[in-house]
Amino acid sequence: MQRAISLIGSGQTRFGEWWDKSLRDLMAEALDSALSASPATALDIDAVIVANMLGEFTNAQAHLGTLASALLPHRPPALRVEAACGSGSLAVHMACALLESNRAQSVLVLGVEKMTDASQEDIASALMAAADAELDRPSGITFPGIFGLIARRYMHEYGLTRDELSLVSAVHHMHGKENPYAQFRSAIPPETISKSPLIADPLRLLDCSPISDGAAALILSTKYQTPMRLLASQVASDTVSITERPSLTSFPATKEACEKALREAEISLDDVGAVETHDCFSIAALINLEDMGFANPGEAIRIYKDIHEGKSTMRLNRSGGLKACGHPVAATGIKQIIDVAKQLQAHEERYGIAHNFGGAGATCGVHVLASMP
Amino acid sequence: MTATPPIIARAQAKRRESLQDGTIESFTLLAHPLKEFGSQPRTIGMILLDSGKRVLAPLLVDAPMIGMHVHPRMRLSYATKEGLRVYEVAYEASALKPVAKEEERVFPGYILALTGPSGVGKSTVSRLLATMSAEYTEPVPILTTRSPKQGDEGEYVYVSKNEFDALRKQSKIVAMTEIPSHSEERFYGYRKDDIEAIWNKGKLPVVITEMHLLQGLASHFGRRSILSFGLLPPGRSKRTMLSHLLHRLRTRGRDTEEHIRDRMKNAERDLAFFKERSDLFDHIVVNEDLDSLMAILTKNVPGLSNG
Repeated sequence: MQRAISLIGSGQTRFGEWWDKSLRDLMAEALDSALSASPATALDIDAVIVANMLGEFTNAQAHLGTLASALLPHRPPALRVEAACGSGSLAVHMACALLESNRAQSVLVLGVEKMTDASQEDIASALMAAADAELDRPSGITFPGIFGLIARRYMHEYGLTRDELSLVSAVHHMHGKENPYAQFRSAIPPETISKSPLIADPLRLLDCSPISDGAAALILSTKYQTPMRLLASQVASDTVSITERPSLTSFPATKEACEKALREAEISLDDVGAVETHDCFSIAALINLEDMGFANPGEAIRIYKDIHEGKSTMRLNRSGGLKACGHPVAATGIKQIIDVAKQLQAHEERYGIAHNFGGAGATCGVHVLASMP
Repeated sequence: MTATPPIIARAQAKRRESLQDGTIESFTLLAHPLKEFGSQPRTIGMILLDSGKRVLAPLLVDAPMIGMHVHPRMRLSYATKEGLRVYEVAYEASALKPVAKEEERVFPGYILALTGPSGVGKSTVSRLLATMSAEYTEPVPILTTRSPKQGDEGEYVYVSKNEFDALRKQSKIVAMTEIPSHSEERFYGYRKDDIEAIWNKGKLPVVITEMHLLQGLASHFGRRSILSFGLLPPGRSKRTMLSHLLHRLRTRGRDTEEHIRDRMKNAERDLAFFKERSDLFDHIVVNEDLDSLMAILTKNVPGLSNG
């Protein structure tokens, strides 16, 4: 980072099905709670960046930057960022660019998605816009299907069993139970996950993150300083279609973004005390941990086994991850940064990583936070 | 947010470029495919084509495996609301298909093929043909690795799996299939010698067959060598057809409940096959009662009407 950027305020709605709240209501709620938690006033906000993927489709609403800006009394300049499920971290990345270049001194980053107004089949179809329309879509596949292919291949290459895979969601639900903002706050035993309805063999219903409404906001500033600093913001890209990649069981964009972020923050993985990773499907969490360097290829399940058996204290998706928290697509990347900050504060850890991706690991954003009291 | 006709057209053009054999790298049974593809589960594979490109495509394989060799087939997928008929490339297993040599592709004569799910009445029809026109038709024995059962009526030649493999390697088997079963390894096939012997007698070989064997025969002897009848059980819906079959299978008492379960599973696939591969059938006939069925056969099989 070329400037000292602090996270000076954050807030979110609980993720879930909010029949009575509009896209604008969700944005206003997250914005209000971020502002009230920060030393800045509304008038300090120099720019607004909104992350959203499906506004036109699920809410008949585009022009979201300005819609959010109008929630502030002085209507600052605003823009919208879209990179599918990676929209949130991309928006934070853009905010860093504005702050580092001194175009702005305080930026509001707001991720929002309202998905439950549309039918599930329409949402599945809309989300497929995050894959390749000409290479992936004509087969009839959906995102659960894409990750089903990935899971099958991973099992073939590394011998992961169905029952082992169930530990991933079980651990996330165990954590989500403690998070008041999580969509699902109940522990689910691995046996229930293995027996849940088949969605895309070998993936079952409880391997998949849910469809959710929700918003998350944070305010980044070079003008105001707090102990919560943003040390690194890195983004990497891969091909959109999985058919154009040499391997199904690794996401190179995660490797690249994570390595660059650690270098930028001048820390190593050993320094990291809290991790939020993008578990849109259980298999993704395993691949992410391997690509980030926490485990060798094929061995990430060991981490989940240890956490499940109480042998490890690693702070991994302590929020409950996408599985238990819910996954309002573009809000997720911002929520992850809020959760990492909360854990650093609560446990007096120094460094934390938020890892967020879009598509099947096609866009990846990694942020490193540091608590510097 | 569905694909528009121009997107579909470009995607189809890309697909046609990749009409080639390949190997399954991964696959998934998707419970809910995209809405335009209907509500039936769909098996989708990631296929590494021989050219080195990868594609995602539906698989027409009962039990796919990573590493399985597959070959492409164009088929109608769905029609858009604008009326555009969307074709797709699906892949079917090629491992079990015997390779036909060029010189064998000369037109050798007719085979009468009766295809249909278990219990539809194929054996009864074949018995009737044997009595009605023994001087003109002769059933082709089915080579099988399964153990003999009470109720088999000489239509099978029982061989061991090793003998079967040996015949296959010598290219003496012209069509073969493995029928999925929980209880044993069941391979079925036809010997080239048996069919040719019947032709040499000046008779019409009759095969009581199923979808894979029919495809095998069509690819070995050529589609025009086969006078192909698909037999359907009575009933307006798939459900009533299947319950007819179940009733017939139980009343004839040849199979254990476990075998019947296997057969019913295969029957569902057979019914879908009639629709998907209508090109392999000359006539699809509903077996309401034997008399009308025999009348239809007599009318449409040249030698029978003369006899």
